[in-house]
Amino acid sequence: MKSQIPASLRNPVKFRMPTADNLVPIRLDIEIDGQRFKDAFTWNPSDPDSEVVVFAKRTVKDLKLPLAFVTQIAQSIQSQLTEFRSYEGQDMYVGEKIVPIKLDLRVNHTLIRDQFLWDLNNMESDPEEFARTFCTDMGIEDPEVGPAIAFAIREQLYKIAVQNVTSIKEMKISKKARRGPEYASASKSGVAAVDLVKLFGHRSSVIRKRKEWDVYEPIVDILSNEEVEESAVIIA
Amino acid sequence: MSAESLAPETAEVPSTADVSTSSAIPESTPAQPEFSKTPPIKPGIAPFSTADPSKKTRSSSGSSSLLSPDTLSSEPDFVTIPSYSRWFAWNNIHECEIRLMPEFFDARSPSKNPSVYKYYRNEIVKKFRENPSRKIAFTEVRRTLVGDVGSIRRVFDFLETWGLINYSPSGKQALRLEEKENKSSIAATPPSQANDVAATEAAVLSNGERSKKLCSACKSLCSIACFVCDKYGLVLCARCYVRGNYRVGVNSSEFRRVEISEPAKTDWTDKETLHLLEAITRYGDDWMRVAEHVSGRSEKECVACFIKLPFGEQFMDPADPGEDASVHEMKDHCDAESIVESSGKRVCITPLADASNPIMAQAAFLSALAGVDIGEAAAQAAVTAVYDMDHVKCRANFQPPFSASKEQEAGTTSSQDSAIQTSGEAQTDPESLLGKEEHDLERAISSIAEVQMPEIQYELIHYEVMELQLEKEWQQLNQMNNQLFLDQLALLFHMAAVPKSEEISVEESGR
Repeated sequence: MKSQIPASLRNPVKFRMPTADNLVPIRLDIEIDGQRFKDAFTWNPSDPDSEVVVFAKRTVKDLKLPLAFVTQIAQSIQSQLTEFRSYEGQDMYVGEKIVPIKLDLRVNHTLIRDQFLWDLNNMESDPEEFARTFCTDMGIEDPEVGPAIAFAIREQLYKIAVQNVTSIKEMKISKKARRGPEYASASKSGVAAVDLVKLFGHRSSVIRKRKEWDVYEPIVDILSNEEVEESAVIIA
Repeated sequence: MSAESLAPETAEVPSTADVSTSSAIPESTPAQPEFSKTPPIKPGIAPFSTADPSKKTRSSSGSSSLLSPDTLSSEPDFVTIPSYSRWFAWNNIHECEIRLMPEFFDARSPSKNPSVYKYYRNEIVKKFRENPSRKIAFTEVRRTLVGDVGSIRRVFDFLETWGLINYSPSGKQALRLEEKENKSSIAATPPSQANDVAATEAAVLSNGERSKKLCSACKSLCSIACFVCDKYGLVLCARCYVRGNYRVGVNSSEFRRVEISEPAKTDWTDKETLHLLEAITRYGDDWMRVAEHVSGRSEKECVACFIKLPFGEQFMDPADPGEDASVHEMKDHCDAESIVESSGKRVCITPLADASNPIMAQAAFLSALAGVDIGEAAAQAAVTAVYDMDHVKCRANFQPPFSASKEQEAGTTSSQDSAIQTSGEAQTDPESLLGKEEHDLERAISSIAEVQMPEIQYELIHYEVMELQLEKEWQQLNQMNNQLFLDQLALLFHMAAVPKSEEISVEESGR
């Protein structure tokens, strides 16, 4: 079974976010005159570029930031968008790729730590829906957690997708490529794909081993104010 | 540095406890008639989206009183929405929403479906209604919603324009609503059709801003000075600006002062009208120069006023005065008179001016300009000249010497009558006229002959004298010629006789 090359590896897919809708995760971290603005959200790349400036102005107005932020924000968004678009024309090999996604984020008073497996090949996947369900299931009341989760997932997926593209590029150059794509992807991709076969191959059940349960269980912590300040200091 | 965004942002997000307790705000209306009377929430209906099970339990428990005991507000909050948004229901999607936000309903992208739209919409409205007196900003909302910011923004704008969020019942919102519709209709997704309402209101707003300055806050006319904020398209009168009667996110520094000194839409004074007419006669169709000449008026105003003048249109292409104008002068002189009398004040007073005849209108106008006396005199001269010429030529070929003067026959109706009469008379006796002409001709010829004869005589005499003189000179010349001949002969003989003696003398001198 291992020697067989999965069919999907032979047929590259046009680069896109491996999710149901092709949304780009945008991260902003701008500092002007000592004022720091950090933000993260998802953007639809099919929106016209005029939207970028509109959005930047709106954000600055809503948050009462100095006007100098407008151009910076717009530029940052625009550059990330162009970067995304530069990948868009190229091919990407997705293949049988189940990747672990890790969540480790703190939003206001909520701390979330989680790990789960995600199928990169599933183009219908929806991080937003995952985030919504997560929040409802875990009873998270802070509404800002949901978007943060979705964003984190998306960002990781984006990174992996980009790696797939770049790895293909390198593959074409390198000599190892002659041997076959699976070798290249294994050696070069940063995220190790979990080989389902290895995990569940000869066993009949798909249930995880008990000792691994802790790893894959989501942890949601509500921090108190002091803990928030502590963690803020650490991160900074 | 925190992982969060700037501090003001987090402060505005309500604490978790508040979010759940605000579940039972009833919707009702204030006393103003234009707002819809949405019925208060009936106990049975769950007012919030089912995507939030924790909240659902809360609301159903607090059914009968509509107020769960742990709400923050002690009395029921009333949320007002404008009457054109009365279609809004928590559980339903109205057709106008489908129409205006098609991206969620056309299945183009799998994650944008009606339930997602409902989720966004309900969350945003809920968030606003937690604190209806405060406007929510898009950024706070989008941080709490899972999804791409573009679609969230569109839903937010849609709700805002329809007054479902950030709506306060006072009238000052009306104009701001128009502005937002203006903005949102511009910035909305291309497939979404902007409201017809929005379009017309935007048009009205833009028109209004051009001619009059209406304050967006108190809706009164700005007279002295207004403050314009270009960033958000607001126009405030001085009072509202000072009072700070504008939106939350707007700083006072973003306004600039615009003076309104010229009287908007005033009537044209006589002086201005006179200037206008002068300028028109001088420059004709060059409205730029006309506007310059009439100080303080734009070209459009000049044209508009000009057209409004009773005979204004006729001057757009000054017609040729024409040759049969005198025939019609009778009727129009009265008009011209009245115009002339009143020309000092306003040229367009008289309704009698016959604007249907462009030539007469021209005449009237020119007569008004030239003045009464000149007009009379010129008219008299014109009439007499015409009368004279009648004798020679046919009646139909009137050649007015000067079009303006000819037409300015104020008060000369009688002389004109006589002119017409005499010409009438002449016309009835064509043969005698012919005879007369012949007679005249003969006389003329004979007189000419008389004059010419002596001339010829004189010339003849002159020529004779000349000939005589010529002969004399000829004879003289002949004589002189003969003399010369004789002299030449004599000389020759002399020369023939003398050569020997000369040779001897030459030889002697040569030794």
